[in-house]
Amino acid sequence: MTRSAARRAPARYRLRVSGHLDQSWSHWFGDLVVTWDDDATTSLTGVVTDQAELHGLLTRIRDLGVTLLSVEAVDEDPRH
Amino acid sequence: MAGPLISTKLRVPRLRRDLVARPRLLERVRRGADSRVTLVSAPAGFGKSTLVTEWLAGDPADGRSLAWLSLDAADNDAATFWRYVVTAFQGALGGAGSGALELIGSSPLPTDLVLTTLLNELAAAPGDVWLVLDDFHLVDSPEISHAMTSLLTHLPPHVHVVLSTRADPDLPLARWRAHGELVEIRAADLRFTLDEAAEYLNTVTGLHLTARDVEVLEERTEGWIAALQLAALSIRGRADVGGFIAQFAGTDRYLVDYLVEEVLAQQEQAVREFLLRTAVLDRLTGTLCDAVVGGDDGRDMLTTLERANLFLVALDDQREWFRYHHLFADVLRARLLAEQPDLVPLLHQRASRWYEAHDLADEAVRHALAARDVVRAAFLMELAVPAIRRDRREATLLSWLEELPDDVVRRSPVLGVFYGYMLMVSGDLDGFELRLDDAERTLAAAPAGSDPRWAQTEELRTLPATVAVYRASIAQARGDLAGTAEHARRALALAGPDDHLARGGAAGFLGLVAWAQGDVSSALTTFAQAVSSLHASSNLVDELSSTVVLADMWRAAGRPSTARRLCLRALQVSEAHGGSVVRATPDVHVGLSELEHEVGDLAAARAHLERAAALGEGAAMTEGRYRWFAAMARVADAEGDPHEALRLLDTAERLYRPGFVPDLRPVAAARARIWIAHGMLAEAAAWARERGVSATDEATYLHEFDLLTLARLLIARHRGQPDSDALDEVLDLVSRLHEAADASGRAGSLVEIRMLSALAHHARGDRVQALEALRHSWAGAPEPAAYARLYLDEGEPMRELLRAAGTDGPAREHARRLLGLDTAADPGSGRTRATLGPPPAEQLSDRELQVLRLLDSDLTGPQIARELFVTLNTLRSHTKRIFTKLDVTTRRAAVRRARERGLT
Repeated sequence: MTRSAARRAPARYRLRVSGHLDQSWSHWFGDLVVTWDDDATTSLTGVVTDQAELHGLLTRIRDLGVTLLSVEAVDEDPRH
Repeated sequence: MAGPLISTKLRVPRLRRDLVARPRLLERVRRGADSRVTLVSAPAGFGKSTLVTEWLAGDPADGRSLAWLSLDAADNDAATFWRYVVTAFQGALGGAGSGALELIGSSPLPTDLVLTTLLNELAAAPGDVWLVLDDFHLVDSPEISHAMTSLLTHLPPHVHVVLSTRADPDLPLARWRAHGELVEIRAADLRFTLDEAAEYLNTVTGLHLTARDVEVLEERTEGWIAALQLAALSIRGRADVGGFIAQFAGTDRYLVDYLVEEVLAQQEQAVREFLLRTAVLDRLTGTLCDAVVGGDDGRDMLTTLERANLFLVALDDQREWFRYHHLFADVLRARLLAEQPDLVPLLHQRASRWYEAHDLADEAVRHALAARDVVRAAFLMELAVPAIRRDRREATLLSWLEELPDDVVRRSPVLGVFYGYMLMVSGDLDGFELRLDDAERTLAAAPAGSDPRWAQTEELRTLPATVAVYRASIAQARGDLAGTAEHARRALALAGPDDHLARGGAAGFLGLVAWAQGDVSSALTTFAQAVSSLHASSNLVDELSSTVVLADMWRAAGRPSTARRLCLRALQVSEAHGGSVVRATPDVHVGLSELEHEVGDLAAARAHLERAAALGEGAAMTEGRYRWFAAMARVADAEGDPHEALRLLDTAERLYRPGFVPDLRPVAAARARIWIAHGMLAEAAAWARERGVSATDEATYLHEFDLLTLARLLIARHRGQPDSDALDEVLDLVSRLHEAADASGRAGSLVEIRMLSALAHHARGDRVQALEALRHSWAGAPEPAAYARLYLDEGEPMRELLRAAGTDGPAREHARRLLGLDTAADPGSGRTRATLGPPPAEQLSDRELQVLRLLDSDLTGPQIARELFVTLNTLRSHTKRIFTKLDVTTRRAAVRRARERGLT
């Protein structure tokens, strides 16, 4: 992400974890969209207000004991 | 004891019955006895707490003291955290830690002092002491991490700490690992092996699975214990076990989702609802569950759940309080949020009301915040303010306030003023003032002086006076004496007769203003009021610290015996109370030392300073710490060691911080006086230039000490190089100072001024006038016998005058008394013998200083050698040289000497 993009908050993020998480977790994870990927992983995607919120989400993932595979900022909303 | 502590957090959790023996891990935990820290670091559901509990239950406890603390998110506040830690130690060691506990009630939290006190108390504990901090990931504030590092670094060898955590803490783990001081048990160690899984599934839960089924489950769960427990619950009572396991193995779903769904499907509807609704609670008890669920069988339900092994953990032996296993609680909460989002705030509101009715303010606030009911949350916070203040948990309140919208905070005068106060603590005076403006506006606008949304508390009632005291403190910080006095007077007018805290604060500011202006008589009246208000508000530490200031005022008024009486009474009070009050005691000893010094009893003066230093090792040195060094400097100089005196003054200067008390004896001027007495006039002249002191300056009290120093310089210079114009200036200056001191009733100042006037006349050769001034210095003093060093420090010219005055006349006893005390007149001893040349060659090298600092710790010799990466022999030779240079023979004495000289 470019410097200006880093400053531009909020930003879209995608968090990938292993296993298929139920749709019911969406609210728990700040209304991120829960998508099941073919390789038995789940993507949690959506707008994150700031870094503090992102770290809060990571703590929630830690507390569930699911394996975190990646965290990335995604510039564009894929639907556009 | 201050502050509500949840006692269940200090209990070792009950050991589960369905346990798999884990000898390989227990062996590791036992190795913690040889190290500093044992770290059990793994995600939720890996059996961390169970492992530690199992070790405690299984190993003989002979001679071992155990302190256990289960942390929660509210402990991420330093004062709360340390109060729990110390209380846990107290429970383990029976009484130890009361000193540290009292200190935690001070503001700002004296973390270093709490740690030192705690470490001293731990060092004295017999046998091994273990502290277990469970769920340490919940406290991650930098303040706590920093203090924990310090505690763990200085831990005596017989004290061990076990940290169980989901995330590696911010501690120097790498260093301890490298030094072999860390035992680690991590996720890879904690996972069930195939054998352990088989034992659990077949022997412990009695499922009798095939070896192949066990293998599949172990592989699918990767030995994650929580998942295996859920799997066992799902399998229980199922006909087609093989089919279930095959299906479980084949799904990509997150194991916990899959298994919790299976477990919930097996429960009755009522049980499922109960689980989901009570999941919003961190702790559960029957009536609380009833209030939240709207039922009446909470207690029975909890018993049923515990019996069915549904992830309920009992928190006490009476089975009153429980909690869900964290992982299970998260799953339930997420489901509740997804299925019945509208219900969540309602459940939190009910919980908040139950907690409020049970006087558990913190939980009531947290649930109100979780319900997003900010108006109610603000109301509850207002109610909680007095307790928060008393327990010094300002950080907790601040973190709550940050969750409220700004307009809600501003609407509440109590919360707004508190928030402003926290802004001031972080240095934002302007921000604080704006909040005070807000609060006064809001208070004025409220019809009938109040608003139904505000909690009717003592805090609210006394707020107008409190705001005025705060305004006085802002004015004082800005050096605005007139403003300080104006606000303080307004505060006194606004405060009721029983608002002791506001009255004490306001009177204190008024007294200090009067003092800084030299008006000692009104300073004495108002400051004595402040001290008695502090007494009435039971604020002992502030009362004692203020007593020292009051004693200084009596000295300025020429009444050292009153000052002495006040100090001695303060000592009695402090000794009777012990504990945190000890903090104020070193300052009292310093005050007494100065009084003894003045009457010429150097041994007593030194003894008080040594007593203060000994207390200071365990207790704090407050902002008055610099004064210890200044007082010791005067003793050293009087004993004939001006080098030492100058070194001590350097340290005093470094430690000096401007505070509430006016700086009436600037250290730089004290140093110049030593130079003058030893003929180093060029250095003294440089001081006067840099400080900008001139004989024509206005004779204010704040400037008096500087001007009297300058007068000595000019007199001394005249003796070497006669300059009658300069001497005229001195006489003019002295007479102006005399006038100012006389007008304000500062009899103490007058003694010194008249004594100097005698010296000035003597320098001019006018013995008649000189003797007249000298006699006047005694005749005009309320307690002439209390002054000795004032005269003796002036050396030969004064001695000559004393001899003349001692032959006859009304003052001859005074002169003879002083001459009798004058050891310096004997050949071979005393101040006149000492000369100030280059300092003796006893400078410590950098390396020696480094060693010295480590000697001032709890580290053993070998530990210090390791810290420095040197052999023990090298360390010994360093130590020997240090001892020689400091002229001591023990480590303890070296440390004390080093502290006296400000080397460590």
